[in-house]
Amino acid sequence: MSCGPESRRGRGETRAASTNWGGIILQDARTHPGSALSLSLSARDARAALLVAVAYYLGAKIGFAFTFQPHPISTLWPPNSLLLAALLLTPARSWWLLLLAAFPAHLAAELQSGVPVAMVLGWFASNSSEALIGAACIRVLVAGPLRFDSFRDVSVFLIFGTFLAPLLSSFLDAALVILIGWGQGSYWQLVGLRFFSNVLAALILVPVILTWAATGFAGIRYAPLRRYVESGLLFLGLLTASILIFDWQAVDHSPRPALLYAPLPFLLWAAVRLGPVGTSASLLLMAVIVLWGTTHGQGPFLASSTEENARSVQLFLIVVSVPLLLLAAAVQERRKVKEALQVSEEHSAKAFRSSPDPMAIIRRSDSSIIDVNDRWESLFGYSRAQAVGRTTAELKVYADPKDRQTYHDLAAAQGYVRDFEVDLRDQPGRVHQAVVAAEIVEVGGVSCFIETIRDVSEQKRAEREAREQQKQITHLTRVAMLGELSGALAHELNQPLTAILSNAQAAQHYLEKGRIDPKELGEILGDIVAQDRRAGEVIHRLRALFKKGERQFQMLDANELVREVLELAHSDLITRNIEVVTQPSPQLPAILGDRVELQQVLLNLIVNACEAMSADDPKEHGLTIRTESTADDGVQLSVIDRGHGIPADTQEKLFEPFFTTKPQGLGLGLSISRSIIAAHRGRLWGTNNPDRGATFHIVLPVHAGGPS
Amino acid sequence: MFVVDDDPAVLKALTRLLQSQAYGVQAFSSPQDFLERHDPATPGCLVLDVTLPVISGLELQQKLAASGAERAIVFITGQGDIPTSVRAMKAGAVDFITKPFGDEQLFAAIRAAIEKDRAMRQARAERCSIERRLATLTSREREVLERVVAGQLNKVIAADLGTVEKTIKVHRGRVMQKMGAVSLAELVRIADRAGIKPAAEHSASG
Repeated sequence: MSCGPESRRGRGETRAASTNWGGIILQDARTHPGSALSLSLSARDARAALLVAVAYYLGAKIGFAFTFQPHPISTLWPPNSLLLAALLLTPARSWWLLLLAAFPAHLAAELQSGVPVAMVLGWFASNSSEALIGAACIRVLVAGPLRFDSFRDVSVFLIFGTFLAPLLSSFLDAALVILIGWGQGSYWQLVGLRFFSNVLAALILVPVILTWAATGFAGIRYAPLRRYVESGLLFLGLLTASILIFDWQAVDHSPRPALLYAPLPFLLWAAVRLGPVGTSASLLLMAVIVLWGTTHGQGPFLASSTEENARSVQLFLIVVSVPLLLLAAAVQERRKVKEALQVSEEHSAKAFRSSPDPMAIIRRSDSSIIDVNDRWESLFGYSRAQAVGRTTAELKVYADPKDRQTYHDLAAAQGYVRDFEVDLRDQPGRVHQAVVAAEIVEVGGVSCFIETIRDVSEQKRAEREAREQQKQITHLTRVAMLGELSGALAHELNQPLTAILSNAQAAQHYLEKGRIDPKELGEILGDIVAQDRRAGEVIHRLRALFKKGERQFQMLDANELVREVLELAHSDLITRNIEVVTQPSPQLPAILGDRVELQQVLLNLIVNACEAMSADDPKEHGLTIRTESTADDGVQLSVIDRGHGIPADTQEKLFEPFFTTKPQGLGLGLSISRSIIAAHRGRLWGTNNPDRGATFHIVLPVHAGGPS
Repeated sequence: MFVVDDDPAVLKALTRLLQSQAYGVQAFSSPQDFLERHDPATPGCLVLDVTLPVISGLELQQKLAASGAERAIVFITGQGDIPTSVRAMKAGAVDFITKPFGDEQLFAAIRAAIEKDRAMRQARAERCSIERRLATLTSREREVLERVVAGQLNKVIAADLGTVEKTIKVHRGRVMQKMGAVSLAELVRIADRAGIKPAAEHSASG
C-alpha cells in the first residue's frame, strides 16, 4: 500500500486478493493441472483475473477510506497485499495474468485521483514488485500452500512477505516519487510511510485470505455447534471490547494505556482455541475497528499530528499481530502433532483390541498384566477383569516357569522377542503350544512388553499326525517288503541254526561213543557259540527293521550299510540267481542318518532291481552297488541293474504314491524311499543306463550339516 | 559221502556230524568245486544244498544225470518251497529236508540214499557185465537170442532164419554158454535186464 505521501491519489490498484472473498477460490496453484505457459485462458483463469481486478480496485478505494482526516495519509493500503495473496493462491505460471488484470484496475483507481501517468506507472511497478518478491520468496521457502499453521511457515511469511518485500519495494517506490517529483517529504520519510502502511496491510489481510481460502469455509461447514457458539461469543466480546476502547474513548480525552490490552484476552482466546483462521479474522476485525476509530478522530491514538496517529495505530496493530500469528501457528502445530499422536494411539488401541491374535501388555518389572485383548481372553479363559493386575506367574500362564525367564532374558538381550515357542496354560489347565512375539514399549513411563501370541496347537497336532502317519506308512511298507523277503530271511536264520544243531549232535555222538578229543569238543563248542551269535545278530537286525521306532540319526558308513543290506538279501539274491558286485569307495566320509530307514531304502532299491531282472535270462543277472563321494560334499550310493530299465512314460510317475508296475505291488516303496531320503536332506532319482537296465542314485549330505 | 554247501559253518558242522557216524566225508563249498574234484566212481551219496550261487543244487543234479555220474542225492534247504522239492524228487532225489533238521532225519535219509546208491551201482555193474557178454555174441547168435526169449521153438526159428533146426540148436547152446545162463529161465531174466526186446512173433507164415 501505498500511500504515497498524498495518498489519495495513491497508486491505487486493486488487485485481487481475491480469492476467497467471493467464495471463489483461486487456489493454490500447484494442484492446478493447467498447461504450462498456456496463453489460452481457461474459464478459471479468467474468473481469477476478473476477481483480482475488482479486488485491487476496491482495495485501493478502501485504502483511500482509511485516510486520516484532514491529513491525507492512508494508514492501510490493501491492494499490494491483495495482489500478494492472489499470487500465493495461484500457480506461478498464471502470475503474469493476475498482474495484467491488476493493471487496468490500478489505472482506473489512480487516474481518478489525477496522478500523473508516469507516477501511476511507477507505482504499479513498485506495487507489483512487492507482491512478486513476497510471493516468490514464500513459494520457494514454504513447501505446500501457506496455511499459517506452522511456526516456521509463519516466520517465513513475516520475514519475507511482511518485512523484506515491503521494505525493498518501498525503496523503489520512494525513489520513483522523488524522481518524478510528485510527492513531498524526504526520501526516508517516504520509505517509512509506505513501509509501515504495507506491512500492516500484509499482516492483516494476507493471513485472513489464505487461511480462509484453505480451510475457512469447509471448516465452518463441518464445525460442531459448540464451536459456532464459542466463535460467536469470542467475536462478540472482541467487538464489544474493541469498540469500547477504540471508538468511544476519545470522549474523555484521557487515554489510559492499560485499556489497550482489553481486546488481548479475546485475541489470545482466538489464537489458542480457534487456530489461524479465527486469529487472522479477529485481527482483521480489531484492525478495522481501530482504524475506523482513529480515522474518525476517536480512540486512544489521537496524538498531535496525523502522521503520528497513523504511525501509532500501525505500530500497535503490527506489534499485536506478529506474536498472535506466531502463537496461533505454534498452538496449531502442537494440536496437529497431538492429533496425529491421538490418531496413532487410537489406531494402536483398535488394532490391539481387534487383533485376530491374542495380545497382552505386560509390565516387565513384575510380569503383571496391564491389558489383554478379546482373543487373549478366549485363549486363556480369563476375563480382562480377572487378568489385569495379576502376574503371568500367578495365572500360571507358562506351563514351564523356566520359559518365562528365558523369554525375559531374550527380550533384555535383543530388545524384542520373535518366534518364541512356548507351552502356555489356560485357566482350565489345557496346554497350548504357542509362538510368541513381543516388543518392548513404554506405557505411561513403565517398560512393558506388548506381546502377540499365536496358538499353534492345532498346527502342531496336524504336523504330529502327519509325521505319525508317515511313520506308520514307512513302517508298513518296510514290513511288507520284509514279508516278501521272508523266505530269504528264514534262510539267513536257518543257516546258523543248522550249524548249531549239527555241531551239538555231532558232539553228542562222539560222547556216546566215548571217544572224544577235548580239543575237538572245544572247537565244536566254539563253533556253536559263534553260530549262535550269528543267529542273534540276524534276529537283532530283523527286529530293528520290524520295529516301529522314532527316527534316530547317527553317524553311518555307507559301505557298512550296503554290506548289512546285502547280508539280509543274500539268499534272496542267490535264489534269483543274481550276482552282486559291490564297488565301495574306500574312503567315504560319514553320513548322518537313521540306520533302519536307510537300510529300508537300499533294500527296496535292491529288491526292485532284482524284480526288474528275469531269473531266466543270464544276460540280466548282474547287480552292481557302488558308493562314492560327490563333488558337493555328499555320498552317493548307486544301485545299478541290468534289467528292462524304466519305461519312458513312467519315469515321472515312479515316485508317486500308489504307482506300481508289479501285479502285487502297493506302489509305496519308492514314494516312501524318496520321503525318507528327503528327510535326510538327500536326493533319490532313477535313470536308465546307456546299454541296459536302470540305476537308482541316492545322494546324502556328509555329516557336517546335520539332519533336518 | 559228499557234502556241498556254500555256507562254511554249515558245511563244517555237517561234515562233523557225519564223521561222528564214521562216514567218510568229502566237503565242497560249491558245485563247481564238486564237479572238478569228485570221483564219480566212488560210491556214496551226495548231501546237497539247494540254494547255491551260480549253479544251483537242482542244476547240479541235472548235470550229474546228464554226464552219467548220477548218484543218490539228499537235498537240504533253508527255504523249503514245494515246487522246488517236487522238481528235485521227480528228478530222482532221495529226500528233501528243510534246515534246521535233526540228526535222525538226516541219517535216515542218508541211509536210504546209501542203500539206493549201492543198488544203483549194483544194477549198473550187472548191466555192464551183461552188456559185456552180449557184446561177445555174433549177430546170428543175437538174432537167435531174441527169438528164444520170445519163446519161439527151434523149428520155427530155423524156418525164420532160413536154416535147419540143428544149426539153431548149436547157436542156442553157444548163447547159453556166452551169457552164462544155465536155464532158459535165467537167460530170459538176463535178456530182460539187458533190455533186449523179444523178437516179434512171426509164426509159421514168417
